[in-house]
Amino acid sequence: MLVKLQKKTIVKTQLLGYIITLCVGVFIVLTSIQLYFDLEPLMTNQTDVFNDKTAVISKEVSLFKSVDKERLYFSDEEISELQAQPFVKDVSTFNNADFKIKAFSNQSENVPLFQTDLFFESIPDNYIDVKSEDWIWNESDEVIPIIIPEDYLKLYNFGFAESQGLPVLSKNTISQITFNLEVSGAFQREVFKSRIVGFSNKINSILVPDSFLKYANLKFGRSNVSRISRLLVTFVNPTDQRILEYFNQNNYSINKDKLEFSKLSFFFNSALFFVIVVAIIIVLLSIGFIILSFNLIVQKNKTMILNLGAIGYSYKSVSKFYQLIITISTFISIVLAIFFSLRCRVFYSEKLDNLFDLPKLPSYIVLLGFVFLIVLSIIYNIVVRNKIKRILLPKDNFK
Amino acid sequence: MAQIKLNNIKPKYMSEAEISTSDIYLKENIVFEQGKNYLIKANSGHGKSSLLNFIYKSNINYTGEITYPFSDNSITNIRQNKISYVFQDLKLFPSLTVLENIQLKNTITNYKTDEQILGLIQKLQLSHKTHSLVETLSLGQQQRVAIIRALCQPFEYMLLDEPFSHLDNTNIKIITELLLDELHQRKAGMIITALEDLTMVKFDKIIHL
Repeated sequence: MLVKLQKKTIVKTQLLGYIITLCVGVFIVLTSIQLYFDLEPLMTNQTDVFNDKTAVISKEVSLFKSVDKERLYFSDEEISELQAQPFVKDVSTFNNADFKIKAFSNQSENVPLFQTDLFFESIPDNYIDVKSEDWIWNESDEVIPIIIPEDYLKLYNFGFAESQGLPVLSKNTISQITFNLEVSGAFQREVFKSRIVGFSNKINSILVPDSFLKYANLKFGRSNVSRISRLLVTFVNPTDQRILEYFNQNNYSINKDKLEFSKLSFFFNSALFFVIVVAIIIVLLSIGFIILSFNLIVQKNKTMILNLGAIGYSYKSVSKFYQLIITISTFISIVLAIFFSLRCRVFYSEKLDNLFDLPKLPSYIVLLGFVFLIVLSIIYNIVVRNKIKRILLPKDNFK
Repeated sequence: MAQIKLNNIKPKYMSEAEISTSDIYLKENIVFEQGKNYLIKANSGHGKSSLLNFIYKSNINYTGEITYPFSDNSITNIRQNKISYVFQDLKLFPSLTVLENIQLKNTITNYKTDEQILGLIQKLQLSHKTHSLVETLSLGQQQRVAIIRALCQPFEYMLLDEPFSHLDNTNIKIITELLLDELHQRKAGMIITALEDLTMVKFDKIIHL
């Protein structure tokens, strides 16, 4: 009988409006968040061994500087000035090898015979995210890990190997090959083993672990002065317009392309963030809407509710119906949103699988959806019950 | 004997001058004993409904103290099991039928069976209206519905706020007989408010408000 009486107070169109709005909002939130997780590997796991927001800068080589090489080096003042810029998060220096290096292969192995002069540089280890057990060297180690630019491999595969009739090499095979390094200087000479452990897109240099370079510079170095010609800069935000302005003014060279991917990923994240914010606003509006609608129902039927209280109904039994209606509506709405979201994921996964080789990731949609459901239900039940309680029980008579 | 006791009760919204002649307001130890019938007589505007609402805990806008003989003094317990109230404005639900209005109350405690309810409806000559919406009934008929509804719960006291104002003498006679019978069975007390004396009931005490 109570249900029959209260059923008449519900405005079905408002309830339907709430279900649809909440469904749309939750659907967008769930799908966007899932899309973010699904695409995250694409955004972060690039071949690049550097962080997203780092770039290498050097000074422009000009006619004068090619004569007077001192002008190519960064002074301590210049470095600290750069460090002080608002768009710069961190500046690290490249260390140069101050000795001669010769790389060569043994004839017996399955490797083309080669011999070449090399140079080495190093940067602090935390800028490199190659598997750390590979990127370690200490004096007892025989094999020196090396990171080379990915372009070198392409140059070899599509240029050199093609024209010389040599086999092309994948990144994996290259990583298996060990070759020899002959290091000389300061009237000393030593042969090490070496192996390529990573490929970089962002840095045009041959990198060895910092620990090796320090050791070798000390042992084979020709002078004690360390000259810095290249810097590794981490930006707060790589799309900042001031970066290019500042570098142009100072005649520093930075490869703009290197920032493109960071930009793309930044735009993608911003767009997704924007969509999620809008969706959350939709969800919040739907919450506001249903609470407002409930308040209207209560105001419109205040006499009925008061009379129910007067003939002996407790506020709990009066509010139970409204709690149930709002909870069920929310449940229907969120289950629908979860369903659409899962369908949508299947749809975009098919498209993405054609384009990229992405790992299969777990779905957070159902879990997140139920978190929404539980949180909203708790909020609604508290709001509804307190509202009815305030009407039926005068303030200082709560019993 | 169990009793409801009033001490120095005064509505906050009435001045002392307005209630200076009252036998209840601002008096000590006003006692309503269970099993006895009380008539509270006053002209309109003297706070008859207020007094019943204070006792029923639906208005707490008073100073002074009311003590109850019940073990559980919560609003819910008082309204469901201890005090039944026929409101002056009846508080019926116009969109429900006569039977539904009564059942709405009866389902809280399931005090009366459906047959008993139909019997009461018949006794008060409302059988032909059992399934009519309450909004289609005359005031007198609605008053009778409200009285039947008030009987559909356990109680130790019954409050009636000008219950016969729209009824003819024949009906008043039928209703008072029914009420006194029920009260006697339940050993319950009754507090009726009225503008003038009610000759059909023998009251244990008549109080001027």
